[in-house]
Amino acid sequence: MSDEHHPSALTARVAGLAELLAGTDLLRLRIEREGEAIELGRRTLHRDEVPDMPGDLSQIDGAPARLEAIKSDLVGIFHASRPAVSEGDLLEGDRELGYIEALGIRNPVRSLGAGRIVSIKRADGEPVEYGAVLFELDRG
Amino acid sequence: MAVFSEADRESLHVRQADEAFCVGPGPVPRSYLNIPNLISTALITGCDAVHPGYGFLAENARFAEICADHGLTFIGPKPTVITAMGDKATAKRVMADAGVATTPGTDILDSVDEAKAAAQKIGYPVLLKATAGGGGKGMRVVESAAEMERAYASATAEAEASFKDGRVYMEKLIRNPRHIEVQVLADEFGTVVTMGERDCSVQKPSHQKLIEESPAPHLTERVRASLFEMASRACKHVGYTNAGTLEFLVAGEDVYFMEMNTRIQVEHPVTEMVYSVDLVKEQIRIAAGEPLGYTQKDLQLRGHAIECRINAEDPRNNFSPQAGTLSKVVFPGGPGIRVDTHVYSGAMVPPYYDSMLAKVIAFGASREAAIARMERALRETVIEGVNTTIAQCLEILATPRFREGRYDIGFLPALLLAEAAGATGSR
Repeated sequence: MSDEHHPSALTARVAGLAELLAGTDLLRLRIEREGEAIELGRRTLHRDEVPDMPGDLSQIDGAPARLEAIKSDLVGIFHASRPAVSEGDLLEGDRELGYIEALGIRNPVRSLGAGRIVSIKRADGEPVEYGAVLFELDRG
Repeated sequence: MAVFSEADRESLHVRQADEAFCVGPGPVPRSYLNIPNLISTALITGCDAVHPGYGFLAENARFAEICADHGLTFIGPKPTVITAMGDKATAKRVMADAGVATTPGTDILDSVDEAKAAAQKIGYPVLLKATAGGGGKGMRVVESAAEMERAYASATAEAEASFKDGRVYMEKLIRNPRHIEVQVLADEFGTVVTMGERDCSVQKPSHQKLIEESPAPHLTERVRASLFEMASRACKHVGYTNAGTLEFLVAGEDVYFMEMNTRIQVEHPVTEMVYSVDLVKEQIRIAAGEPLGYTQKDLQLRGHAIECRINAEDPRNNFSPQAGTLSKVVFPGGPGIRVDTHVYSGAMVPPYYDSMLAKVIAFGASREAAIARMERALRETVIEGVNTTIAQCLEILATPRFREGRYDIGFLPALLLAEAAGATGSR
């Protein structure tokens, strides 16, 4: 048996391909060479397979995030809402996440739907320009 | 602090500014005319003053008022003066009060019917012009009553889109005069100086300037003195401060006030070259409350300067604007050559704005030397990816009429017509 076909070498190749697949949004990866094939597939999670479903998206590791950026549509000072939201918070529907103060006017920034707050990109009191990313949400 | 739209994110002015803030998406009304975003940017970044440049809100008295209301110094004249002189229709009335000759015309026209009646009285052909305008925007020649409805609708729409002010007024069209303008500077202590004249008669059929020079060739000293005296008198009459330009139509020895632009002009570099002055710096100094520090007798004109506007336009297709990526950009250099630009190799030309890519300015000890330097500079300029006006400018510079300095605002349209006729073989 050649080194290349030794079980330990094969395991290493499969592990490498699995890592490659995990870094993409592909569902299936198949490599064929010299009559041999290695095929990897991403397991689709169903609701009844995951403990503590529905709602606890944070329990799913490696699930691809559909990140949506919430951006400022004007120039002003960003302020967090009270009570403030935190990274990881699960939003069940549309709610105010913060506001942009511009020329003395309070302009709400809303989530426009459900999702999980993946990141908060601006600090309370920070000046923001048009188009500045304020939050990243995972719509699930 | 520089402001920019999303379409201008990679512009040179953004890259070279100490700080830059995005004020909106590409379309002008949501970015460069977005007063709340502009004011908010100035306030939250701790700016003391706002320089409006040229175009957009540069002659918007309301914007100047809003700046003042928020404790920001507007680098330009006071709002009341912008209203009096920047409003083109009002300015003519003010000039007439100051004893300055003006072209026959009207105040703001509130309807197309009013326009028709006014034209009947003045006599065709007439010119509809945007009261907040410049750059040929919102301007239409109307040869007869049959053209008025479409021209009025078109002029008001373009004026609204370009300046957020769709009002237009009317002037008698004087056929093929020279467009001669006078640069002025005035401080807040009553000192007013004129910094020579510029000949801006090389204009596209749309009345947008293409080539400007200072001093104006073959202008008699009587006319020159008359222009400077009227410009100075007008400024003192209205209490003008900061930089401005009074534009006149000159036909022989006859001079008519046309309009005043209460801002820095696109072609200001030719004045800067012949007077060794930084006009934008003077604007900032004046706005900061500093005296000019010199008087008319201290100013000395030296040499000759010419500016060519390099626009992303196809001169062979009615100067239609071009958008796209500039795959290669090489600008000229050498003695007496200056280039003002915001583009570079790989830059995108967005479809939202004026088509100007660069201004190439050539200075020489004489007009002939300036022309020679400009021709060399244009031949060395490379812009690939869009059509430009480089070849058109070279062609103009080579014509006998330009070289002799004997041209008027009908010169370029006639040249283009002759070329078109030659191309089609028609007579």
